[in-house]
Amino acid sequence: MKDSPIYEDVSHLLKRSSVIFLVVEILFIFVAFYYWKIQILDYRKYWALSEANRTREAVLPAPRAVLMDRSGSVVLANSVASFKASIIRENSKNFDESCRKISRLLGLDEAVIKQRVDKYKSLPLFKPIVVKDNLTLEEVSRIEGRKMELPELVIETEPKRFYPFTTLAAHVIGCVQELTTDELRTTFKDRKLGDMAGKTGVESSYESRLAGVDGKIIEVVDSLGRKRDELDRIEPQQSPKLTLTLDYDIQAKAEELLTGKEGAIVVLEAKTGGVLALASFPTYDPNKFVNRFTPEEWMALANNPDNPLLNRAIQGQYSPGSIFKLAMASGALDSGAIVDQTTFFCGGSIQIYGRSFRCWFEPGHGPLNLYEALQKSCNIYFYNLGRRMNIDTIARYAEELGLGKRTGIDIPGEKEGLVPSTEWKKKTQKAAWYPGETISVAIGQGPLQVTPLQVAAMTALIANRGARVCPHILREGQGPTGNVKIAPAIFEKVIEGMWRSANMGGTGQGARVDKFDVCSKTGSTQIIGRETAERLGTQKKTHSWFTGFAPRNNPQVVVTVLVEFGGLGGVTAAPMAGQIFQLYKNKFYDRQSSSPGN
Amino acid sequence: MIDRVHLREIDWVLIGLLLVNSVIGILLIYSASRYQPGNFYVRQVIWLLVSLAVLFLALSIDYKILIGFSPYVYVLFILVLGGLLFFGKGIGGARSWIRVTIFGGQPSELAKVALILVLARIFSEFRRTHLSLDFAALSAVVVFVPVAMVGLQPDLGTAISFLSILFGCLVLAGMNKKVLAILLVGTILVSFTGWNFFLKDYQKKRLTTLVNPSQDPRGSGYHILQSKIAIGSGGVAGKGFKKGTQSQLRFLPARHTDFIFSVLGEEFGFLGVFIVFLSYFFFLARLFRSVDKSRDRSGIYIVFMTTCLLTFQFLVNVMMIVGLFPITGIPIPLLSYGGSSLLTTYLAVGLVVNVKMRRFVNV
Repeated sequence: MKDSPIYEDVSHLLKRSSVIFLVVEILFIFVAFYYWKIQILDYRKYWALSEANRTREAVLPAPRAVLMDRSGSVVLANSVASFKASIIRENSKNFDESCRKISRLLGLDEAVIKQRVDKYKSLPLFKPIVVKDNLTLEEVSRIEGRKMELPELVIETEPKRFYPFTTLAAHVIGCVQELTTDELRTTFKDRKLGDMAGKTGVESSYESRLAGVDGKIIEVVDSLGRKRDELDRIEPQQSPKLTLTLDYDIQAKAEELLTGKEGAIVVLEAKTGGVLALASFPTYDPNKFVNRFTPEEWMALANNPDNPLLNRAIQGQYSPGSIFKLAMASGALDSGAIVDQTTFFCGGSIQIYGRSFRCWFEPGHGPLNLYEALQKSCNIYFYNLGRRMNIDTIARYAEELGLGKRTGIDIPGEKEGLVPSTEWKKKTQKAAWYPGETISVAIGQGPLQVTPLQVAAMTALIANRGARVCPHILREGQGPTGNVKIAPAIFEKVIEGMWRSANMGGTGQGARVDKFDVCSKTGSTQIIGRETAERLGTQKKTHSWFTGFAPRNNPQVVVTVLVEFGGLGGVTAAPMAGQIFQLYKNKFYDRQSSSPGN
Repeated sequence: MIDRVHLREIDWVLIGLLLVNSVIGILLIYSASRYQPGNFYVRQVIWLLVSLAVLFLALSIDYKILIGFSPYVYVLFILVLGGLLFFGKGIGGARSWIRVTIFGGQPSELAKVALILVLARIFSEFRRTHLSLDFAALSAVVVFVPVAMVGLQPDLGTAISFLSILFGCLVLAGMNKKVLAILLVGTILVSFTGWNFFLKDYQKKRLTTLVNPSQDPRGSGYHILQSKIAIGSGGVAGKGFKKGTQSQLRFLPARHTDFIFSVLGEEFGFLGVFIVFLSYFFFLARLFRSVDKSRDRSGIYIVFMTTCLLTFQFLVNVMMIVGLFPITGIPIPLLSYGGSSLLTTYLAVGLVVNVKMRRFVNV
């Protein structure tokens, strides 16, 4: 091929080329500087971003501490493994589509899923949001089968609170529930969305000792959020088990006795105030709340007219009725209003301040001293005490014995009750106290209100001849918390009356237990007027009360029973208490007294 | 046909730089794709050997002859690209791939060489010092036909690369500053109408996210962001070969192709980036300095257009992966995985070597 050499001048071409080359050189320098900026100047920022990209912190929730009964051999609450399904928004290509698929797969309402996700929208996108927990194995396998198709739905395991005896001591143990956003803002600032915490009972009051310390894993994940490696792992720590003062047998017996009724039973260790049993009926199964999705069941319970969520033993406020005669007797003796042999005549009714007041025993008890009055629970005798004492003196003694204020038991929600006084009436009703009202208060009616637990604590105080105890659930030595300003001799007299009540054909004889020296007092609180009750031809319109302790000397156990609309205390409540005394005697007292050196 | 004198004049330095950068590319491809099926690095090695063979084969033919055939080759490519628009198989959303043998081949890549040759032929007859309208119009038509066809595939990156060839030859021919202005305005107009009538949604998205990458962290902006994280987290010396978390854990998209340079930045840090910048700069500078090593006008055009094409692709890619340029899918010649791209680069550089070795006429 013949080629002609270049004879013409091409220097203008070369010049243009070198201009472009210059531009390229400048661009090279510029780009190099930009890389220098990113890689050297902004290194830390991008390095942090890449670490955040590749690592993920996953929480290993700690199982809650085990709760034992006093024997240390019965597990009242523990933790079991459970499966939950969570959605990871980051892995979802089309969120609406995901919701549709998940709702079909798990049989959930789409709106519920979206509501759920909306609640947690502040979480980072890669954090799983629980959409259903307590999965059955069948549901787990169904989800696993769709893993490839639904990378946004993952299964996680978590320890779940479990109450092996379902309703047993539900009101004492309480239950755990998912924290609300409000609670996270106020009381649980160190917790995370989705955490469970104790809501009631021991679960709530000892939350910090039960919760344990969550562990965590730092995982390396790829861009699809799949775990590739584990960098670090901190195992969760379960807190040591808590032993409660509850006795499984007594608690179970108390609940068995209450079944079908509405009411409460409190059984205390007399000397320490340790709660052996605290039953409230109707009750509920706390296992049903240990998940995130039972608004219906919760609402059903909350709206139940029988109010199973109410812990009647510490939240129910009732007129004490004749139970209050214990406080009246102590106060009258101590204030010098009477001595033990002071006698009044009961003729079935009495005129005081121009009004007729009646004894529950219409024929009348005849002449009685204090012991007989307590034994037979004569109203007339105590009306007379009411006439001799003014309301403020009565209130002072009632309060001294622990009525009208919280006992300080270590579960939340305790109510105060009410002990009326002239000041109270002035403050709440802006009116003066009428002496006639004192007469009603003298037999435990009127505005007086107490909780069964207060009555039990007062009974323990009397049994201890004035040593006060604070009822408690946690079995960590708590003895008497001080003495009242009433001489032990006075309580001896009251106890004599209580002993007669149970052992000499008094109102409390239903609670009598052979060789166990039960001392007791019953009460039948009028809910409606006597006239109305007679018209309706029923005596069941009263709350049935019983409180007592045993044995008379060296008292060990206090039993308080309240049955709403249970009729007469001596008929309904006393025999129930008797069964509990019997059980206690069999289980603890006989073994104790038959063992050598005791 | 090949002369011993010609053999003596082969620019071994240029071929050496070509190989050095190709080997760097294969190392990076290995690191970026060894854990996924496809054996990309093995395939790239085979492509490298094939490309090298083709390069030497092409050296044996005088570029004048190649220029002589170029109009037919050009028409052939137009037909193939046109056919692809109707029958092409889509890969990665684009219809630019055609299954040839066991390796996929991309005709639009090879079309770049055809374009260079046909433009060199046109301008070999152009003897004025400044560009005239007829030549400008002719070359624009010659380029815009394949640009339209490739752009409709849609393969925006390759289409824009074609424009860099046109730009090269127009500048060399002495484009009037007024014409340059008109062209810029035209580009803006074309972009505007293209935006409103021709660009696909995903292309628009790529362009908008350039402005604000964090606006759409899981979309196109996500790619830029992850790429910047990869590069920035490399620091001075990098995380180490095969140890880049962004790439190994697949946060980085298109790791072995468009974002291969991000893998370099992450695993070898600024030092690695700087060294590859230098080696690539030497390579491009060598091409620029080859412009005057030609015996005739068409040779000058061939060398310059090739240089413009490779420079453009390199700079756009390294700017694109740090967010200085919209993500348009332009691979880095020699570094990114891709047989057609590698072969095209070797052929184009082969043309330059071809021109240089035949620069002495009286042999």
